[in-house]
Amino acid sequence: MRAGNPARSAARWIALAAVVALLAALPWCGNAVLVQFGISALLLATLAQGWNIIGGYAGYPSFGNSVFYGLGAYGVAIAMAQYQLPFWVGMLLALGLGVAFAGLLGLAVLRLRGHYFAICTLGLALVMTAIVSNLPLAGGNIGLVLPLLGNAALFYELALGLLVLATLTVFWLARSRFGLGLIAIRENEEGAAVMGVNTTLYKVLAFMLSAAFTALAGGIYAYYITYIDPAGVFDLALNVKMIIMAVFGGPGSVLGPVLGAFILSVISEILATKVTSVASMFFGIVIVVAVVFMPRGISHLVAHVRQAGWRYFVDNVRAHRL
Amino acid sequence: MDAILEARGLTKRFHGLVAVNGVSFQLRRGEILGLIGPNGAGKTTLVNMVSGTLAPTAGDLLFEGRSVRGVPAYRRAHLGIGRTFQVMKPFPGMSVLENVAVGALFGANGGERNLERARAWARACLESVGLGKRIAQRADALGGPDRKRLELARALAMKPRLLLLDEVMAGLNHVEIEEVIEDIRRVRAQGISILVIEHVMKAIKSLSDRVFVLHHGEKIVEGGTAEVLSDPRVVEAYLGRQRR
Amino acid sequence: MALLAQIVVSGVLLGGLYALMALGLALVWGVLNIVNLSHGALIMLGAYATYFLFTGAHVDPFAALPLAAAALFAAGYLIQRGILNLVIRGPMFNTLLITFGIEVILTYLAQLWFSADYRAINPRYAGSSYTFGGVTVPLVQALGFAIAIGLTAAMWLFLLHSRTGRGIRAAAQNLVAARLYGVDPKRIYALTFGLGAALAGVAGGLYGTVSQINPYIGGPLTAKSFVIAIIGGLDNPFGVVVGGLFLGIVESLTALYVGPTYRDVASFGILVLVLVARPSGLLGRTA
Repeated sequence: MRAGNPARSAARWIALAAVVALLAALPWCGNAVLVQFGISALLLATLAQGWNIIGGYAGYPSFGNSVFYGLGAYGVAIAMAQYQLPFWVGMLLALGLGVAFAGLLGLAVLRLRGHYFAICTLGLALVMTAIVSNLPLAGGNIGLVLPLLGNAALFYELALGLLVLATLTVFWLARSRFGLGLIAIRENEEGAAVMGVNTTLYKVLAFMLSAAFTALAGGIYAYYITYIDPAGVFDLALNVKMIIMAVFGGPGSVLGPVLGAFILSVISEILATKVTSVASMFFGIVIVVAVVFMPRGISHLVAHVRQAGWRYFVDNVRAHRL
Repeated sequence: MDAILEARGLTKRFHGLVAVNGVSFQLRRGEILGLIGPNGAGKTTLVNMVSGTLAPTAGDLLFEGRSVRGVPAYRRAHLGIGRTFQVMKPFPGMSVLENVAVGALFGANGGERNLERARAWARACLESVGLGKRIAQRADALGGPDRKRLELARALAMKPRLLLLDEVMAGLNHVEIEEVIEDIRRVRAQGISILVIEHVMKAIKSLSDRVFVLHHGEKIVEGGTAEVLSDPRVVEAYLGRQRR
Repeated sequence: MALLAQIVVSGVLLGGLYALMALGLALVWGVLNIVNLSHGALIMLGAYATYFLFTGAHVDPFAALPLAAAALFAAGYLIQRGILNLVIRGPMFNTLLITFGIEVILTYLAQLWFSADYRAINPRYAGSSYTFGGVTVPLVQALGFAIAIGLTAAMWLFLLHSRTGRGIRAAAQNLVAARLYGVDPKRIYALTFGLGAALAGVAGGLYGTVSQINPYIGGPLTAKSFVIAIIGGLDNPFGVVVGGLFLGIVESLTALYVGPTYRDVASFGILVLVLVARPSGLLGRTA
């Protein structure tokens, strides 16, 4: 809602467009490892941005987004491996599965608040592996093999396109009536309802929007990786990653989750090659440190640390400690 | 007599405890109806049932002649019922302007869809309660009296036809109370009907056309302001509270 | 019919263990308003502590339980004092998230130190069992059940009658009042979390005697403990026992009649159903 200086906001748009153009040019530098890393970082950023809609804006900390990712991956895999349909039909199926499931699930569990919502979605994420393992259509616990395309650059550009789309959506959201309604729900749900916000509808819509990007990311991943099994794509650890990236970057901000995903992807990649034993613990350490010292994420830190200096971290601890 | 709001035997029980027991009343179009009673008398419970955040155990509620039983809170806001909260519920992380803009965007008839027009209207509401200079601040940075004003502005931004004011004057000093009384008079002059819950008797006396009294969840007296306030049962209900 | 009786008995024995697992989670949740997502990891550590005392120092697993409890108490006390007390007044989501971070760290530390191999605690008497009218009761499980129920009762008495227990209950009701009452919140919170961790430690030791362990068992155990706490409510330890028995029996019946892969589906199906039908829990207070 801030009316920024138009010249500065134009400069910011140009800078962002330049960053996107640079990112889009990356596959032509010829480094296959870099492209591979890029695909994973872009998909994670999309997941973090998708989580941001339900977790950051509406304030419902979903541990069930990995379910939408898995559904998206299986949507593409079933279409392509079981019915020999083209990829784009698979993506439509992925989108449909993810969004429909989010709608149904949302109606049931978005009535729960706080811990209850978080753990209910967590429980669901835990059982999805078991449920899908028992479906013959999904290949049971053996999984499905997709046709090999072998064009990493294409997947890279697809992932980048999806991330840009997700980020533009969140940009619109932050400035729209719908987005303001979601923030009102996050800040005080009862207050939002008596002021006329249809809280149930808004929460379910936010969940579905969140699921849409998450499922599409899963679909791209399935075709890219060419083999999926239930344990691999209904992975709770992935949900943990998206939450950490969004929270580390700044939940409820437009660019924070993307920034968080990029920064953490780079650090964890470096750790994985240099000090493997710490790498797996890395995300745990990041959460603990981030929640204690910078609970509002990088984007808030960048905006305020210049004024406050080191006191920024001390003040965060002071505000929440016993 | 044209009633904008009519309660028929409204009752709310919480696990056997009766908070509101068979309360009936009418609020006439354009009037200010005072609701008083000792703490714990069930006043806020009654307001919650009118605004739709609590479902009554029994009884019926008519808004502009139509029953709103089972109508969710947000739809009642669209119908034109606005309220403030005794325990204030601002959106702490939003700016003062955004807080009020939510009311403008979602209030009566579903609110204003255009963001710019909604913001302009929100600004006007904030100016009318004297918060025009604070629009860019975060809501949780406001002090007590300003928070009360913010509650009022948020409800006004919804363009309600019926306004429920739950202790908007608690904790204010004399000057501030006078200001809020003036604000409420101006609201009524726009044709908005008002239910005022208040412990500040001065405000009840100078604002209300009629008053009714809740005690232990039941309506004990109803009538003109002066006669109700001198009624021995009312005095006893209040003195009983003070003796404790 | 004999089969059904056997299944119900197995379910009850499993349920006693489940109840003990959930007890610590419910205690921490009820008093500190923290849903401790690292609870399962603490159970896992308790299992390893018992395992290494048994294989390394040849301590009988049941004799090792108090030692595991003491070790986990210390760990829990430090976690609360050093980390959780720093964020406890923040938004609920922050405490939830930070316990998740602790869970990740503990899980991978365990993987680093203990490797990802499956292990089992097998004392000499592991195979012995008694048979009553066609129903077999394994000795180890029966002992575990007795300990679980005994500890729950002890917990109840402790909270009701000891000075510290009263302090904990006061802190659960109202921290300001607790301060006036002379309770140091930092200490009482750390004690409570330590107790929760100690209960997890004992539960882990018992779990290791009836089931295989590896560093990753924590997540599902946290979720199960949560299911039980939801069913039983946070008001009283016996609600947790009822929840544990219920879940144990349902899981055993599902494994038999639907298929073993559906066991977890059943428990989380119950979770979702209970929450949707009664968001405050089956036996708990309504908010």
